[in-house]
Amino acid sequence: MSPTSSGRGRNVRRVLGRAARALPARILIWTVLGVMAVYVLAPLVFMLTAAFMPARDVMSMPYPWIPRSLYWQNFWQAIRGNDGKFMYARSILNSLVVAAAITASTALLATLTGYGLAKFPFRGRRVVLLLIIGTMMVPFQAIMIPLYMVVTKMGMQNSYAGLIVPFLINAFGVFLMRQYLLTFPDELIDAARIDGAGELQIFWRVIIPNSWPAIATLSILTFRSQWDNLIWPLLVVQSEEMKTIPLYITRFASEKYTDEGAMMAAAVIASLPMVILFFALAKYFVGGAKLFAARKG
Amino acid sequence: MLPALVFFGLFSFYPIVNAFYTSLFKQKLLSLAPPEYIGFGNYIYLLHSSTFWNSVRATAIFTVCTFVLLVGVSLLLAAFIASRKRIQSVLQMAYFSPAVVSSVVAAAVWMLIFDPRGLGNQAINAVLRTPGVDHKWLASATMLQISTILVYFWKYVGYFTIIFIAGLTSIPTTLHEAARIDGAGAWKDFWYVSFPLLKPTLVLVSVMSMIQCLRTFSTQYVFTQAGAPRGPIDVIAFGIYNTAIRDHQIGRASAMSVILFCLMLVLSWMQFRVSRSDDVSYL
Repeated sequence: MSPTSSGRGRNVRRVLGRAARALPARILIWTVLGVMAVYVLAPLVFMLTAAFMPARDVMSMPYPWIPRSLYWQNFWQAIRGNDGKFMYARSILNSLVVAAAITASTALLATLTGYGLAKFPFRGRRVVLLLIIGTMMVPFQAIMIPLYMVVTKMGMQNSYAGLIVPFLINAFGVFLMRQYLLTFPDELIDAARIDGAGELQIFWRVIIPNSWPAIATLSILTFRSQWDNLIWPLLVVQSEEMKTIPLYITRFASEKYTDEGAMMAAAVIASLPMVILFFALAKYFVGGAKLFAARKG
Repeated sequence: MLPALVFFGLFSFYPIVNAFYTSLFKQKLLSLAPPEYIGFGNYIYLLHSSTFWNSVRATAIFTVCTFVLLVGVSLLLAAFIASRKRIQSVLQMAYFSPAVVSSVVAAAVWMLIFDPRGLGNQAINAVLRTPGVDHKWLASATMLQISTILVYFWKYVGYFTIIFIAGLTSIPTTLHEAARIDGAGAWKDFWYVSFPLLKPTLVLVSVMSMIQCLRTFSTQYVFTQAGAPRGPIDVIAFGIYNTAIRDHQIGRASAMSVILFCLMLVLSWMQFRVSRSDDVSYL
């Protein structure tokens, strides 16, 4: 045997040895990853498949997983409701109006305020900033009752105003936009000013077009949190006509005669907008999460 | 600018101040009688109220368990995924996907899974080989607590995994290479290089997940609406809602809000302090 081949043999043995030692670890890692994947995905698959099954299949043991045929009646039943009043359609409309209005106003106002705080030195700026950061730390659950009384005093229960106005702007949005705009090049703003652009024009033509990533992230976060909002509509809305999707689903799911298939169909309908957004703008979704990690990078 | 400030004043500061103020009165919702000043009466009442302490216990159990699971498992997942570049984005998206559905939808789906005939029993019975046993997911106190924890954990584990992955991938590879050259294995590399450098992210995630857990409401609300007993999962946000809206005790609910507020303030302050003092520089 030549020295080189024995060297290679030793190498092979070392690699094999390492692989053998690593094997249990690898099995463990992939088991953990696999179990978690099943745990995370199974309920979603369940929701999607059960939406296309008649109730007796949904609740049969063991669960069949694959619908025998696409049972569209569930969706009809979900929209029609158990009382046949089509309240779900109204709830969807309400949710869309509320979430869209809040998202638009937050994007605009937070950018405007963030811009002001980032680029215009004025007296009391630090105080304002501190107050806004302080607001960020106040949990909604702690102020919801007084807020509810404010809104009631203004006579805004059971209306779009009551659902929308308290969320027109949020502190986190202002903070986010300010942080983003701090790094915005002053040269661009000055150049526009020299070219004779007014302040509003600068905001529209220079700031907004160049802040899309931050605005998109903020918009998705806002839209999602409003789409998800249960506790506030629960407080301010009593009438059926003004209910939003979370309220409708809660009631629909707790009604005695609700068919399980129709319940999952309602759930699928409620998830559609977010799923579409997720696939279209996945990087901003993830960007929202990463933002926290990067916040003090 | 100015409207924004007025707005913050009306919808953020005023409610906070008002919460403190109202918490000193005996006030009923929808009652025309003027509120009666009772000093710290509401707080004293709460300290002697078994419902309140039950709320505190339910919140503590929920928060601690969920928090440990969330941080532990998402860190583990992130460590496993971050080093596997090819499959990273797929797994990351898969784990993140529950965050896309809203919390009420999540609760509705899991409600069916926890049905006596549902997937929950089927899965447990398949693993434990105990066919036909009902584990009373939504009926027995302990199981109900476990159920709410499972739902919450399910929804947020991917979110925190992504934050950890972002933290892990921001550590320069040269450090890992140096460790490997010095003879560290994968485990030592993680424990002595990644982990210490990940500390700020870890603290951030911990505080964030704790604050989020303290605010939990939807799952508990949906489950009780569907007939589950309230006691074991009567978390504090739920308690505030019930005290104010069902019992009409605005003053008492405000006192609970103030307590929650102070607790969160302490946590936030910790987060702020730690994230200030512990900035990593890779030198």
